[in-house]
Amino acid sequence: MTETVTTLTAEELVAAERDRSAERARRADQRRRLLQNSGVLVPFLIVLVVGVAVVPNFVSSSNVTNMLVNAAILAIVGYGMTLVIAVRGIDLSVGSAQALAACVAASVVNSAGPFVGALVGILVGAGLGAVNGLLVTQARVPGFIATLSTMSVFRGLVLLFTGGAPIMIASAGFKDVATSSLLGVPTPFVIAVLAGGGMWFALERMRFGKHVVAVGGSPEAAVDTGIGVNRVLLRAYLIAGASAGVGGVLLASQLGVVNGSISTGLELQAIAIVVLGGTSMAGGRGNIVGTFVAALLLAMINSGLNLLNVPSFYQYVALGLLLIFALSIDGAQRAAVRRMLEGRHS
Amino acid sequence: MTAVLQVEDVVQEYPGVRALKGVSLDIHAGQVLGLVGENGAGKSTLIRVLGGIEQPVRGSVTLKGVPQRFRSSADSQAAGISVVSQEFRQVPQLSVADNIFLGHELTTGGVVQRGRTRTRSTELLEQLGMDLEADRPVSSLTVGDRQMVEIARALSRTFDVLIMDEPTAALNGAEITRLHAIVRRLAQQGKAIVYVSHHLEEIFAICDDVAVLRDGELVARQPTSELDEPRLVEHMLGRKPTTYEHVSTGEGEATDVRLAVRELQVPGVAEPFSLDVRRGEVLGLAGLVGSGRTELTRALFGDLVGLGGVVEVDGKAVRLRSSREAVRHGIFMLSEDRKSEGILPHLDVTENAMVSRDRRSLPWSRRVLPLRRDESAEFARLRDEMRIRVPHGRQLIGNLSGGNQQKVLLGRALLSGCSVLLLNEPTRGVDVGAKVDIYQLVKQLADRGVAVVVSSSDAPELAAIADRCVVYFAGRQVAELRGRDVTEENIVGASVGQTAQEGSHD
Repeated sequence: MTETVTTLTAEELVAAERDRSAERARRADQRRRLLQNSGVLVPFLIVLVVGVAVVPNFVSSSNVTNMLVNAAILAIVGYGMTLVIAVRGIDLSVGSAQALAACVAASVVNSAGPFVGALVGILVGAGLGAVNGLLVTQARVPGFIATLSTMSVFRGLVLLFTGGAPIMIASAGFKDVATSSLLGVPTPFVIAVLAGGGMWFALERMRFGKHVVAVGGSPEAAVDTGIGVNRVLLRAYLIAGASAGVGGVLLASQLGVVNGSISTGLELQAIAIVVLGGTSMAGGRGNIVGTFVAALLLAMINSGLNLLNVPSFYQYVALGLLLIFALSIDGAQRAAVRRMLEGRHS
Repeated sequence: MTAVLQVEDVVQEYPGVRALKGVSLDIHAGQVLGLVGENGAGKSTLIRVLGGIEQPVRGSVTLKGVPQRFRSSADSQAAGISVVSQEFRQVPQLSVADNIFLGHELTTGGVVQRGRTRTRSTELLEQLGMDLEADRPVSSLTVGDRQMVEIARALSRTFDVLIMDEPTAALNGAEITRLHAIVRRLAQQGKAIVYVSHHLEEIFAICDDVAVLRDGELVARQPTSELDEPRLVEHMLGRKPTTYEHVSTGEGEATDVRLAVRELQVPGVAEPFSLDVRRGEVLGLAGLVGSGRTELTRALFGDLVGLGGVVEVDGKAVRLRSSREAVRHGIFMLSEDRKSEGILPHLDVTENAMVSRDRRSLPWSRRVLPLRRDESAEFARLRDEMRIRVPHGRQLIGNLSGGNQQKVLLGRALLSGCSVLLLNEPTRGVDVGAKVDIYQLVKQLADRGVAVVVSSSDAPELAAIADRCVVYFAGRQVAELRGRDVTEENIVGASVGQTAQEGSHD
């Protein structure tokens, strides 16, 4: 055997390796984006086309308004969940927190007027989120367990608060918010778009957003670069609670009557839209736009099934299947990226 | 001249280990201090203490005359210490620029100034001689480039003390030269620099002073000019270095090929691998981080699935889609990460050694229900043969030293009856005495007819045990050294692509 001799210099080899690695990264990025976007856009378009074609009254103005309001409330809760999942956490208590915020808001609206009521409702949500955040950062309870527990605690509190009886909202002005519209667009939907824009800006353009990506993407790096990991986590849970509160206030306005058992199962819907929207359960980058589109998708599915008089039992099945689909996309996407990048870190 | 940084009597303990036993050290402005010591001597611990990542049990750190108590890395950075850490602490999802300024973003009212971040990053990288797009996600970079990003990040902060923990581990010759120039310039600007390296010639090239740590203690602190390499090594080891007498058989040609790799395409590596390993031969794989040798061993063990090519064991083509298949075909691997991929920490040494035992020669009853008595006897035999220092076979493996753990794992490989043994960094975290034992054991295994492949970043190690050494650079084989040519100089030279042209005679 003869010696393997090459005339390439080190610099040339490095340059070649660098080019290859850049090319690999570009392809991985492309594929990731494709999977991420098609994961929500393809189902969205299919449901939209099928809905328009098959479901009676799907595009009637009252149903469109209804869908947009439902989607808006869901999307707002989803933004908070996006943030929490981006930092590798999870918030299972959003449904209970939303119910408590809605009921407290309703009762304060009746006693102190709509503005104070709305404000108190949002603050209640933020407070409950802060409790979750403190449990995770100070008591060191894993997010899953902490919020599973507070899901039960908050639900108990709202049932105690209402005494099991519904609360009727007297203020017509408050109830009008959900049904009013700005330039023909339902107000809650406008709020959802504005809130989404704000969240997107915070995540993509602000220091906080960089820290969120760092904490979720590489916690060790976050610690070593001097990022206050606990502060980021606390804020994420607090914002998740506050967005559940905003959702609760809008829900109270939409329903006009609230009781202690509203918003059960909301956590599953919120997680489903976040993951379907392209935010990875493994943490890292949150995809606010994806969450927004996925909220619209879920609202269309629910409304379509309702209009087709499909029993609500099937809606549970549909939601579960949707979540599984979303998670399998998430897994496939990560596997694809890993395959593309495999072997780089030797 | 007063010291910029003063470390006094710092003690750090981990459960069961005293990592730093009262280290005192000071460094002046404009000084480059080399910090050397073997693996486990306490260098990394000291750096973590200075970086605020760990809080010492005792002792004080004084910076510019002000006593400091770092509770987090943010405290240490604010005080003026910047660290280039050995492991890259980067967020793969963020861009190069965002990673450089992570933790001290350029913002106005919480909004990141994207333009300034980008231009400042580009400037810093240019200073390091890199023309990297600042917008690329860091996950897309080569290891060498990521190392440069890590250095750029440390330079992006304002600091008085710069700590560099093996900054050249993944760099090539030209990049190293450039980095040295930067270090010298920083020292001229009055910065104090702590430079950690395993490459002693680097220490002699750029450091004014050297501090030697051994077993958590500072054993020497001298100007570099008063030292030479053998003396420095003696300080590090605490005695004259023992050398393992390598007897290269050289007549490996006559025996048959046990492992044959033909055009094996491994994901993430540009060029396919081809190599032969003969019965009784120890083949070394050398190359810097990112050279592809780790991927090659993982592919041979079925841990990475090859994309094409043929692997033959004893002349029979085998399919390697999982580690299980690899073991069935007689390939065994000891991973570089002994703690998480090697030992079974909650089992005792006997169980650890027996877990992959080839049971085909045993009667049926013994295969299903192994007898403790049998296994203990087997282990006792192994213990004597391999000089494993362990009181009894019931000892939990987690309580042994790295060297003894590795011996148990070599015993596991032996009992698996493998025909090809892949060793990844076989003496990482192993003390010098046990190293020689392990080299002898590897040789013994080879003498029994096993084809051994050793992948290592430790050039002296390969020079000591390999009969033949293949050097890779960025996924390409750049040299094959054999017999007398397997020397540390040749391996290191070829690894950084410098002497690749020279080749060698047969």
